[in-house]
Amino acid sequence: MFVHIFAYRLKCLMRDWETILWTMVFPLVLGTFFYMAFSNLYTNEIFNPINIAVINDEQYAKNKSFREALEEVSTGDERLFNLSETTIDEANELLNENLIDGYIVVEMPIKLVVNNSGINQSIVKSFIDNYIHASSAVETILSIEPEQIQKIIDDIGNRETYVSEKKSTGGEPNTILLYFYTLIAMTCFYGGFFGMREINDIQADISSVAARVNAAPVHKIKAFLFSAAASVLIQLVEVLVLISYLVFMLKLDFGSKTGFVLLTAFIGTITGFSFGAFISAVVKKSEGIKVAVIVGVTMICCFFAGMMQHEIKYIISRKAPVLSYVNPLNLLTDSFYSLYYYDTFSRYFKNIILLTVFIAVFCSGTYLMIRRRKYASI
Amino acid sequence: MIVRVKNLVKRYGDLVALDHLSLTVNEGEIFGLLGPNGSGKTTAINCILSLLKYDKGEVEIFGRPMAPDAYDIKRDIGIVMQNVAVYNELTVYGNIDYFCGLYIKDKNERKRLVEEAIDFVGLRDFTKFYPKKLSGGLLRRLNIACGIAHKPKLIILDEPTVAVDPQSRNRILEGIMELNRQGATVIYTSHYMEEVERICTRIMILDKGRAIATGTKDELKAMITMNEKITVESFGITDEHISEIRKLPNIISVEYKDNLLVIKSGKGKNSFETVLDFIRKNEIRFDKIYSELPTLNDVFLEITGKELRD
Amino acid sequence: MQVFKLCLNIIKKNLHIMLIYVIVFLAVSLIMSSSMTGTGKAGDISFTGKKVDVAFISEEESALIDGFKHELGKIANFVEIPDETEALQDALYFRKVSYIVRVPEGFSEGFMRSEDVRLEKTAVPNSVDNIYIDLCIDKYFNTARLYVRNLKDISQEALARYLESDLAPAASVEMITNGKENNDHTYANYFYNFLAYSLLSVIILGMSALIFVFNDRDLRMRNECSPVKSGSINMQFILANLLFTVSAWFVMVLLCFLLNFKNSLSMNTVYFLLSSFVFVFCCCGLSYFIGNLIKSKGAIGAVCNIVTLGFCFISGVFVPQEYLGSFVLKIAGFTPTYWYVKANNEIAKLTEFGFQNVKPILSDLLIIIGFGLAFFTAALVAVKNKRYA
Repeated sequence: MFVHIFAYRLKCLMRDWETILWTMVFPLVLGTFFYMAFSNLYTNEIFNPINIAVINDEQYAKNKSFREALEEVSTGDERLFNLSETTIDEANELLNENLIDGYIVVEMPIKLVVNNSGINQSIVKSFIDNYIHASSAVETILSIEPEQIQKIIDDIGNRETYVSEKKSTGGEPNTILLYFYTLIAMTCFYGGFFGMREINDIQADISSVAARVNAAPVHKIKAFLFSAAASVLIQLVEVLVLISYLVFMLKLDFGSKTGFVLLTAFIGTITGFSFGAFISAVVKKSEGIKVAVIVGVTMICCFFAGMMQHEIKYIISRKAPVLSYVNPLNLLTDSFYSLYYYDTFSRYFKNIILLTVFIAVFCSGTYLMIRRRKYASI
Repeated sequence: MIVRVKNLVKRYGDLVALDHLSLTVNEGEIFGLLGPNGSGKTTAINCILSLLKYDKGEVEIFGRPMAPDAYDIKRDIGIVMQNVAVYNELTVYGNIDYFCGLYIKDKNERKRLVEEAIDFVGLRDFTKFYPKKLSGGLLRRLNIACGIAHKPKLIILDEPTVAVDPQSRNRILEGIMELNRQGATVIYTSHYMEEVERICTRIMILDKGRAIATGTKDELKAMITMNEKITVESFGITDEHISEIRKLPNIISVEYKDNLLVIKSGKGKNSFETVLDFIRKNEIRFDKIYSELPTLNDVFLEITGKELRD
Repeated sequence: MQVFKLCLNIIKKNLHIMLIYVIVFLAVSLIMSSSMTGTGKAGDISFTGKKVDVAFISEEESALIDGFKHELGKIANFVEIPDETEALQDALYFRKVSYIVRVPEGFSEGFMRSEDVRLEKTAVPNSVDNIYIDLCIDKYFNTARLYVRNLKDISQEALARYLESDLAPAASVEMITNGKENNDHTYANYFYNFLAYSLLSVIILGMSALIFVFNDRDLRMRNECSPVKSGSINMQFILANLLFTVSAWFVMVLLCFLLNFKNSLSMNTVYFLLSSFVFVFCCCGLSYFIGNLIKSKGAIGAVCNIVTLGFCFISGVFVPQEYLGSFVLKIAGFTPTYWYVKANNEIAKLTEFGFQNVKPILSDLLIIIGFGLAFFTAALVAVKNKRYA
């Protein structure tokens, strides 16, 4: 009986190739878009010189060292700034038309005039601050040991770094990976539509074929499970295709525990499927409403798991940690991430256990709704 | 006794869909459930099959109480629902094979049964077609094939000929009678009186969830007072004529509307001759004149005061 | 106008479904926008004073380190984490801190002797905020190095004192507002950008429900047999859809206006409204095109996600346009979302509204209108050519 129902269900599902194609393609395309969006953060090509002006007045002419410092960072291919020397009126006009991000007035202390507070303005300010601090230090030293002037100038030129990165034994904390993990989790949850379809085809008050199946001498739960197995198989294949694409084509790092990654994918598929079945069995309204609930809940869970902005995830875990445990999509994302990040399995298993609780809740809810009984109305 | 229903009650809120319905179906019968739309035929069927929850009553099939998990009973039942219940993603062959496979485990036997069912409904040329490509009549044939392929002892058909062309309809009715000849007991619901009259051995007429008459065709017709209905198409009938005809022996009612004179006569002597004599004597001009035996529609009409056909 | 009335009825019947979508996406938009303004845009540390959460672990105590910690405290918020591997890993994982700095034993001594010593850092990579920490560390110790190498026998206490006075002054910053109210448009900017995701999702999902009903084979055939011109049928249908999309737009935009009331009473808001209205028109065309192209219901959800999430990611809604590579932006230029986000970002920065200032924005909007017209045309062509086999 299993083979009979399973094989026919598989045939049925594969006939609807349009749905299968799109549900398989969409996470791949989305993943590619993510990759494109983040690729730049890997390569650090982002820096374009910042447009600034400096007021060419008496003070500026007098302050040789600042002028030289400014010129040094404004020339060459790897320069920080595109510098214009202007009058104050010209500078104001340029600023107004957003042709420069700010202009410098050499006063005491040096003043930066901007009309916005963004990263470019912050960088200019940092530069000026650095100059002020360095010249203050030089002055102090010179007041004590005036002969050291040449050495000081050499030393200023040689900047050293005082920070070394400590590599952790697990994975590096990597925010980019999180986006991809949430993508996998979302794909698992879109398997809920398969779950919805299975319920439709087994509940006699929803479809005629279901009535026929209900009148047949087949244990209803068995029929449902055998049929569901076909749906889960297809969904699992889609998730695995996505993971393979991410690992082999986009070269993402999932850590080395491949077996557990596959296990997590499987558990995720079951969770998504049972979620869809649960909603479909419990929400006794039209199909449109069920779809809206599934899509809506999945999107909310994605959002709180940080798919659009990873910050959200951390705000939640700091301010309302309960929410992060109640969000199965978040648990799934965290499972993947903890496989990658930690050496030990304790956090991973915590997440998996919570996920199985969710599966149990969804499955028992579905069971209670569909178990062999007569309907109040067909 | 194959099916026994006692005092079945089903309510939808305030509406009473089945009102203490009792019926029995004997082995080898073609039992017809006749009634207008909304009389409770489909509800009764769904309750008998344990698909629908009912408020009161008992249902026994094959001498055992019927329940949702009575698999041994279900194995010998075949159903053909009012709505076409097939998978759009499977071919004609696939659908029949799938549903047969829910009843028959042995692969070889199933193959044989499926082939037989295809030939039985006449879909041999369409086995590889998908349901979307079939016409209404062919779709209904497929619907039937899915329900009877496993050669059940009891076949329940719920309005199987809705929206079906005459050729398919004829075939379906012949097929049901053949199945009956091969040993199946049939419960057949419809609101088409001619079909029920044609194939059913015993008939129950339902109205508003209640059985208002049960019996064979002849028993039912004997229940009413009318014995014969005479219709005369004529322009020249006057009120005087009508009152004269009313005075004739054995006449129950006379109506004249839209140039049709309808005379109903009761049991007793053949009234046709009498009426014909009257018309000749009064030299009434007429186009047509004919006499009919009472139909189930007449039975229904007399008992309920309304037409069976909507 | 029968077809139009019919469509309105279908919309009314499905209103509760559309409402679910609107509420869900609206809630998400609002939370997103307030969280983004709350945390501030990356790189705003020096101006808005937002501090980075840092765990400071020192294996030794010295005046130099005290001075350093004091300096670091200007841009860092110190969080107490026990010095255990798992606790530290957890802290980074849950973002209690985004940077861990460890002072190894013997660092100060080694530094005063001009040895090559380093602090250890473990941090979340690719975070702009953490770069400031790196810069702060380097600045402190490079400046300190000047003293150490040029003033013999300087003590740690003296060094710390000197550094404190050197690093105290900072550039003064003047924010010019041209005498106008300096409204902060970050919230609105983010909200309107996010509409590219939320509003488009609502429109695609809502409209697809409509289109499926309307495209039902039997109904379509019946409509096509009537003496109403097919062009007129399509127009009425589009009109009904426009009505729906504009209503959805109105609801979402109204909420933004109310919640951000203080900042909304400015010319910028007018431009935001214009920009989003134009975008909504384009969305309508896009979802009309999609609804007529995709047959299966399950596929609609998938396509919707690609078009909304996918486009948003490469167009700068979630990752700001400044951080996207030029190649990505070129590809994104083929989507209307990119131009919409670009226009919004420019509008947020506007302080003057003369024609010169507004010209780039208007040209972006024209491009969006072009996209919309293209979608509508393509859809009408697809509809026209649909004949049933």
